[in-house]
Amino acid sequence: MRPIALVTDSTADIPPEIVRELDIRVVPLGVHFGEQSYLDNVNLQPAEFYEKLASFGGLPKTSQPSPGEYYNVYKQLTDEGKAVISIHLSSAFSGTYQSALLGQSMLEGEGDVTVVDSKTASYGYGMMVVQAAELASQGLSKEEIVERVLRLKAETKLYFLVETLEYLQKGGRIGKAAALFGSLLNIKPILTIDEEGYVTAFDKVRGQKKAFMRIVELLESAFPDGPVDLAAVVTPGRTEMAEELIALLREKFPIRKFSRSAIGPVIGTHAGPGTVGIFMSPASLS
Amino acid sequence: MVLAGAASLAQRADRVNELNVFPVPDGDTGTNMDMTMKAGAAELAAKPSDDVGRAAETLAKGLLMGARGNSGVILSQLFRGFSRAVSGQRELTVPLYATALQQGVDTAYKSVAKPVEGTILTVAREAARHGMSLSRRTADIAEWMDEVYRKAVETLNRTPDMLPVLKQVGVVDSGGQGLVYLYEGFVRYLTENGGDHGAGLSGASFAAEPVRAVPPRSPAGIGASAETAAAGRTAQARLATESIAFPYDMEFFIRRPRVGRSPFPEAAFRRTLEKDGDSVILIDDGDIVKVHVHSRRPGDVLNAALLHGELTELRILNMKDQHRELLSSRDHGRPALNGARQPRLDEPETLGWEAASGLPAAGGGLADPAGSDWAEEAPNPAADELAPYGIVAVSVGAGNEELLRSLGVDTVISGGTSMNPSTEDLVQAVSSLAAGHVFLLPNHPNVWMAAKQAAELAGRPVTVLPSTSVPQGMAAMLAFREEDTAEANEDRMIKAIGNVLAGQLTKAVRDTSMDGVDIRCGQYIGILNKTIVTAEDGVVEAARSLLGRMLASGDEAVMILTGEDADPACTDALLGWLGERYPQAEIEVHEGGQPLYPYWFMVETV
Repeated sequence: MRPIALVTDSTADIPPEIVRELDIRVVPLGVHFGEQSYLDNVNLQPAEFYEKLASFGGLPKTSQPSPGEYYNVYKQLTDEGKAVISIHLSSAFSGTYQSALLGQSMLEGEGDVTVVDSKTASYGYGMMVVQAAELASQGLSKEEIVERVLRLKAETKLYFLVETLEYLQKGGRIGKAAALFGSLLNIKPILTIDEEGYVTAFDKVRGQKKAFMRIVELLESAFPDGPVDLAAVVTPGRTEMAEELIALLREKFPIRKFSRSAIGPVIGTHAGPGTVGIFMSPASLS
Repeated sequence: MVLAGAASLAQRADRVNELNVFPVPDGDTGTNMDMTMKAGAAELAAKPSDDVGRAAETLAKGLLMGARGNSGVILSQLFRGFSRAVSGQRELTVPLYATALQQGVDTAYKSVAKPVEGTILTVAREAARHGMSLSRRTADIAEWMDEVYRKAVETLNRTPDMLPVLKQVGVVDSGGQGLVYLYEGFVRYLTENGGDHGAGLSGASFAAEPVRAVPPRSPAGIGASAETAAAGRTAQARLATESIAFPYDMEFFIRRPRVGRSPFPEAAFRRTLEKDGDSVILIDDGDIVKVHVHSRRPGDVLNAALLHGELTELRILNMKDQHRELLSSRDHGRPALNGARQPRLDEPETLGWEAASGLPAAGGGLADPAGSDWAEEAPNPAADELAPYGIVAVSVGAGNEELLRSLGVDTVISGGTSMNPSTEDLVQAVSSLAAGHVFLLPNHPNVWMAAKQAAELAGRPVTVLPSTSVPQGMAAMLAFREEDTAEANEDRMIKAIGNVLAGQLTKAVRDTSMDGVDIRCGQYIGILNKTIVTAEDGVVEAARSLLGRMLASGDEAVMILTGEDADPACTDALLGWLGERYPQAEIEVHEGGQPLYPYWFMVETV
């Protein structure tokens, strides 16, 4: 059996130390402030990005990796004799997945590359990549790993709060939550990503406290008992609200594993500053 | 006789308004009953008949569509039952009259979820019961009606003993008083015209009326003269008019959408067509529905049909070309309402705000008091653009309207605190939406029954939500999800309404004592959901007192909707106080623009 290598893109928002530790290959997307171009999470780190975002009068543009970039990575790993599992940002948000598929096809049958559309975003699939890498190091087969990853995906609950819907709206990534944008009230939509990989408003409440309570309620009904794993993604800089929510969740749930990650430049461009995402899955899956 | 009753009521609508028990400046029982009655009278005047069955049917139809406010709806139900009882009869005799009054009472009771005694219902019931027993003893209709009227007066005077709130305020029930005035008019007519053709229920008696309930219609520009429309009509002309009631012979096919279509609602569509037509034939073949109808309003038929698909192979014939000028006279019915005076502002009705009655309480209105001919103006929604849901809300104030729209409301019927929309206004709003299922937010206790009635008449699925204030309506909208089923949405929205504290601040219009609060005229009173909780001389003091009762933990989200009379300095003072007293609260302020209420507040409890 060939050894297995994990490939993903930079919007998985996997903390750099874990990337190094598990030897995950990350293909970066591009972030462009006017003429200035950066590679997501490579030469532009989250903290620096939000500073730039605040001073840059508009929205930066983002760009997906080219098929050639994927091809190069796949080719190199194949030449090293490895099988590849490549997990990517929801195809509903970005052409990144398509690009990876094209990169795979450029191998023209050579090698063993499986490309997965995560239908989710940020550390939501970053978690899948990390788990897949861990399972690979334990010697599981590719089929077993992909199956476990899909199960994790199915059983993970994701809710996120944004400070404003403006960024999702401008980036055109708002999907079914679009109707909320016109609201004149101070509404805190509780957002999620649906099965097709689109952002959708799960609930609308007024006020932050109510939003927190609603998230706890939703998670309590999804995970009535047993320990859970919790991952939180937050945009650096405005963490006060996120910390409050995380503390509340730690108080309410028996958490076996907690991980935290910073929302990187590309996801940050589309979600905006002041975003917090909560991912919860049964501890039995990790 | 009906017109005499209507006139009697109209003359004293203000007096009825004054009987409202709740000391807040909105809702108008007298105005609502008056305008409901006028709508019925106008319909009758436009389509007169000496045949009591037909006349009663015409009257009932007019009342049903013109019904405003809870008392107006009950009135329309009384006559609806009445008209069923006299259906097919030519003359009104005492036994028939008695049976009809009784059936009216039965119908009205059925239309109210939780009937409250000491209201118009009780007055109508006792009078009808007395009429039934009396009908075995006299055949003199004037004498009989006089007795019925006296029984109504007697019952009315006992209403304070049945409904504590009336006693507390020291008034009789306003709706009951309205009915008594109506009966008084009947008695007067019957006494003065006792010998004339039967009971003269029809509009043929219009010209003979001593008091005009309805402004005379302009004879200009129409085929039939005012004289023809009134008493001078010959039997032959009447026959002709009757025979051409539904002159347009229509036949066409509805091509049903291929994707995402729900089953064709045959029964509901038939009801829609039969509202203003006959000889309805519907053949539903799945992809195509064949429609045949004789209608008075081909535009309505086509608009209604368009909701279900594309129309094809249309054929419309006028069956009685030669009588076209006679036909056009009917088009006067609704515009007769144009002359209706603007009602003065007054208090809400017993049945709405007050008697609890299980009816919800809060603000409805009237978009177009001129009562334009609704169905013909409804836009033609294209079948392929049919949205799963449409939402109609009743509200006042430009800011509130904008807020509701931003939350997803499609149509806002303006009004509520000072003017309740009629059933017809609501039906029109519902019908003009290209939506499969409509949610209706009455947002005022006095709009509830008209909304329920509109839901029945709309010919499509309508869910009336129990919102009794605009803030509750907003809370319901927050819970709405386009992607959920109608049932799930109804549950969520009802729950959301229950989780909201709605505060309303207004000026008392009289001295009274209510809910344990002593109130002086001119004081600001705070109403929490439906209960008066505070009365203060100053607006800021009253607002503080009210908000203090609404905020429990102090970290709630508070919404403030400022009315058109809100003083910015007072708003600032209030915000300063809130910031100091409740530093954890999340507060948002919007210019609502509602009249009469300087502030509306909303706090969610869960």
